[in-house]
Amino acid sequence: MDIVVCLKQVVDPELPVRDFAIDPATKRQVREGRPLVISTYDENALEVALQLKDRGGAQVTALTVGPAAALGDAVRLALAMGADQAVVVDHPQAPDLLGVEKARLLAAAIRRIGAYDLILCGCESADWVERVVPPLLAEMLGASCVTFAARVQPADGGLLVRRVADDGFHEVDVRMPAVVSIASDEANRPRLPKVKDIVAAKRKPVQSWPAGDLALPSGGADGSGVEVREVVVPQRTATCEFLDGDPVEQAASLARRLRDLKLV
Amino acid sequence: MAGICVVASALDGALSRSSLELVAAARALEGSGEGGIAAALLGSGPHLAEAADTLQRHGVAAIYRCDHPLLTSGQTDAALIATEQIVRRVQPGIVLVSADTVGRELGPRLAARMGAALVTEAVDVAVEGGALLVRRQVYGGRAMATLAVAKRPAVLTVKPRALDVPEPRPSTGTVEEVPVAIDGAALGTRVREVRREQAEVGLEDAQIVVGGGRGLGGPEGFKVLQQLAEVLGGAVGSSRPPADAGWVPISWQIGQTGKTIRPALYIAVGISGATQHVAGVSGARTIVAINRDPDAPIFSVAHLGIVGDYREVVPALIAKVKELQGR
Amino acid sequence: MVPTREIYWNIPALGVVLMYLVALVAVGIMGYGIWRRGRLWRRGRPVSRLRPVGPRLRAVLRHVFAHGRLLADRVAGASHLAFFWGFLFLFAGTTVVFIHQDLKIRIMQGAFYLYFQSAALDVMGLAAAAGVACALAMRYLVRSPRLRRGVLSDAVILWLFELILVTGFVVEGLRIAGTRDPWGAWSPVGYAVAGMVRAAALSEGAIRLAHAGFWWGHFLLSMAFVAYIPYSKLFHLVLAPVNTYLQPLQNPAGVGLIDFERTERFGASAFSDLTWKDLFDLDVCTECGRCTAVCPAALTGKVLSPMHVVLDLRDEMHRTDGASSRALGGQVVAPEALWACVTCMACMEACPVFIEHVPKIVEMRRHLVMEEASLPETMGEALRSLEARGHPFRGAGLARTAWIAGVEVKDLSKGDRAEWLLWVGCAAALNERNHAPLRALVRVLQAAGLDVGILGDEEGCSGDPARRIGNEYLFCDLARRTIETLDRRGVAKIVTLCPHCYNTFRHEYPDLGGHYEVWHHTQLLAHLIDEGRLRPTVPVAAAVTFHDPCYLGRHNGEYEAPRRVLRAIPGARAVEMAQCREKGFCCGAGGGLYWVEDRVGQRINHVRARHAAATGAEVVATACPFCLLMLEDGAAALESSTRPMDVVEVLERSVGKAPH
Repeated sequence: MDIVVCLKQVVDPELPVRDFAIDPATKRQVREGRPLVISTYDENALEVALQLKDRGGAQVTALTVGPAAALGDAVRLALAMGADQAVVVDHPQAPDLLGVEKARLLAAAIRRIGAYDLILCGCESADWVERVVPPLLAEMLGASCVTFAARVQPADGGLLVRRVADDGFHEVDVRMPAVVSIASDEANRPRLPKVKDIVAAKRKPVQSWPAGDLALPSGGADGSGVEVREVVVPQRTATCEFLDGDPVEQAASLARRLRDLKLV
Repeated sequence: MAGICVVASALDGALSRSSLELVAAARALEGSGEGGIAAALLGSGPHLAEAADTLQRHGVAAIYRCDHPLLTSGQTDAALIATEQIVRRVQPGIVLVSADTVGRELGPRLAARMGAALVTEAVDVAVEGGALLVRRQVYGGRAMATLAVAKRPAVLTVKPRALDVPEPRPSTGTVEEVPVAIDGAALGTRVREVRREQAEVGLEDAQIVVGGGRGLGGPEGFKVLQQLAEVLGGAVGSSRPPADAGWVPISWQIGQTGKTIRPALYIAVGISGATQHVAGVSGARTIVAINRDPDAPIFSVAHLGIVGDYREVVPALIAKVKELQGR
Repeated sequence: MVPTREIYWNIPALGVVLMYLVALVAVGIMGYGIWRRGRLWRRGRPVSRLRPVGPRLRAVLRHVFAHGRLLADRVAGASHLAFFWGFLFLFAGTTVVFIHQDLKIRIMQGAFYLYFQSAALDVMGLAAAAGVACALAMRYLVRSPRLRRGVLSDAVILWLFELILVTGFVVEGLRIAGTRDPWGAWSPVGYAVAGMVRAAALSEGAIRLAHAGFWWGHFLLSMAFVAYIPYSKLFHLVLAPVNTYLQPLQNPAGVGLIDFERTERFGASAFSDLTWKDLFDLDVCTECGRCTAVCPAALTGKVLSPMHVVLDLRDEMHRTDGASSRALGGQVVAPEALWACVTCMACMEACPVFIEHVPKIVEMRRHLVMEEASLPETMGEALRSLEARGHPFRGAGLARTAWIAGVEVKDLSKGDRAEWLLWVGCAAALNERNHAPLRALVRVLQAAGLDVGILGDEEGCSGDPARRIGNEYLFCDLARRTIETLDRRGVAKIVTLCPHCYNTFRHEYPDLGGHYEVWHHTQLLAHLIDEGRLRPTVPVAAAVTFHDPCYLGRHNGEYEAPRRVLRAIPGARAVEMAQCREKGFCCGAGGGLYWVEDRVGQRINHVRARHAAATGAEVVATACPFCLLMLEDGAAALESSTRPMDVVEVLERSVGKAPH
């Protein structure tokens, strides 16, 4: 089985809220000085790919779109965890791209990679949480699509996928080629790379393809019609706001505040 | 190319609540020259007529109904074929899809097939100054983005529960049956089985976490926290002392030597706020602290604070939340 | 007549020949045993431990001949001292006989015969017998808890000792009686035995028969003893002095660099992954249990016992002839044991034969971490945080300079230049409790007129947690980055708040090309006080006890500097815990254990907080940001009124606000 895992590099989502800021020029998160990591669920996707490789043998390619110079250890980490090769689509503005554009670049790169039975992605990115790349890839590549998969296993020449759904779990038969997005599950906690593999990863091939060299697919969703007007961080007082009154009043005002924050 | 088409589904039998939320969104847009509201109604069986009624009672004029045995829970590929057929027929400017299990696959794929603009997970839609503006959370909810959508057609997916169900607005209109040919054997995905068990929300994935500390006084304190978590749809965690004392499983511990969480809401109950615990919750976007001691360090990291006895506050909070949820 | 005695009285010439044959066989058996073990040791990796000669010989004098470490346990040390010197004298006596009889150099006569060969040997023999009796009593009557139970060879060895001594005295008594030795009284014990023989009124024939029997018995037992040496813990007779000579003189818990370009195996899974000295160590062990008796993990109920780590490795090495197919780290030694080690060095400090437990444990951890990626989850998270964020504290913010509120300090990352770099350290910069000590340190150093700067946001991690946990690759990466930063900013003199960073800079950076003058803050403060540049004048009326950070004390031998600072503070009364200085008890955070929940048995930091509270002191001072956090946690759990503070916080109160 040939598996391509799409990875996205994002600003460390575990950074405390106080270190979060928006750059007014790009309307994106300030990256400077912030640690960069592989987006949370993308690592789970890689883990699923590696488990399929461990079980039945698979060739795993890690694919990412980013400014090649700033990618740092993300690709190396994937190789150290066990990916066989890596492809970087070098795009200087990659961190600012939205999912529609990203999907187009990824689809072009996957076509250039050529052999693919299964494309795995994280179920959502830790930054823009658009959840669009997997279904868009499926359309552009003419592949089947399942999102939010907790488990993936080969079955009758295809796959049996457990999808996390609003009404429980769906056991889905999937024909390949397929694009599957991965949600976190006990069974796909990302493995820690072994240092011997980190050292060995240095010898694995990493191809860097300039984004401009790729033959972008025609059709697909149109990204040009959407413009990011503004990105605002809700203003928060630095100090704790105390809710007064008797316990019932306190509870009532808390409940209202939570509703206003769309948390209830 | 005009009008708004909501993709309404009755895949589980009855019309889904999120379909009505889409109608609310459509009604917010209809007065601004986008045109009237139509609905693609997907499902199978006798419930569909009832669902069409409900849509009409809420202001949907034209209903294109697709009744097919494959249009059941989770069958995205079938739903996509039906929706595409209706949308090509109706030619709307805006298609609204719920970002639920099927919709979050269907929406982007439909956009790809239509060459449409695409914005997902909207929490609010509006037309301002002639521009269609879509608001959505970004960066794990730490910021709110506003996107202007100039292109038509546009597919928007709307986050479930972000909008309220609209008031009824009876309208008269047409219900058209759209026959659709779906070859089950040709579909890329088929739902073999639906297991209706609530997936347990893991602490690290939960959007809402209720944490308890030494101040709960004992394991029974966690029962009331579990009730609160249940009504909020969240998970329960703890600081170190309860895990040490065996009140809760060790896997519940949040902190430097436990789990790291970054939910939208963290409610710390009876937790003093030791550094080692706070390290595990600093990614939480809103922190609420409930503690008897007004000097507890937890209040220095909390956004909202209640000084009081959790035994009184939490049950009142549960009741109030249920009331707001209309339960 | 010149005082002497007839050698081989009652032993025919043929018997003497037979004796030498038996002795040859015994020495042969011993030699074979040593050769066999030596073969195993040679499988280890190379390490150089022969120079410098002077300090090593001094260590041998102190710890072998004067029993420096052994006497840490008064009773056991004294009884060992008695039979050590007793046997040494008796061995010297045998050598004298050999020289006198076989080399025909007549020395065993006259005053030397009377004073040394008779009186001194007799008294020392008696001392040895008493020492052995005492050891038997400790083992079988008092039942010292640190000793292993039910091991046959332990009993064999002690009874063999005692029998050799007793038969020696009987032989001597029979000879004195049988030869009517005119100088017999110079051997008081033998003379007393002779008195009993006379009282028994045996015939001369009976005396000769008994003498021959006991003589051969004594001789054969002695030869059995010689032959048994390399096959039992008696081996330490030969190896302990050698091991004392070979001890690490610097950075005793240090582990070697790994050349990642050339090495295929990381850490210790096979015996050949350890150094020859590590393998040698295994055979030196006397099973005395002193290491385990002081191990904070063992004392609080964890799986780890440093002695059993050594014994399990030794037994596996012997059983498999050094070719074990089981991984040392993880199979021969349980992972739970390896992950319970706080690398505090209490075991190594207590070991009378200088076995190096900690580096072996770290080597086995290296295998688990780098080859198996198997380690406690939260420790793994700390490592991931180090990789991604350059510090091991998940959830901590970006700003390493949040503590600078109310102090002015140069920032080298912004182009400032300063004579001294204050290396803040992650544990201090990213944990609020340590901000006050940082500010106090800056104020006090500035009050002394020092030109101090920090690296601001350019500071990273020294690498200590990565190295102790066993991720050498990450350590090298972090250390190289830090060295690059330090060199780019022209840093020559460093003062650290954290003893872990201090230890790493001092001992481990030179191997990577980072050479700096490194001071721990208490050393610099003590120095400034000695020079009169800091004058603590404001009285701080409090009883203060000092908790020795392991990486300052045992790892670096610095016990005095923090105490000198505290002594200089008027009003402060020093009270010591029983577990202080070399015997200090870890706070529980070392070796990466800060990032693991201490759930098995008692919490180490609670035990330590109890030690501090038991002194009744108002303040427990320490000199390490990790210790401070752990003691704070312990004090809170105990609701102790003994407040943890850094030494510099106490000092700042005494220096007052007056500028220099």
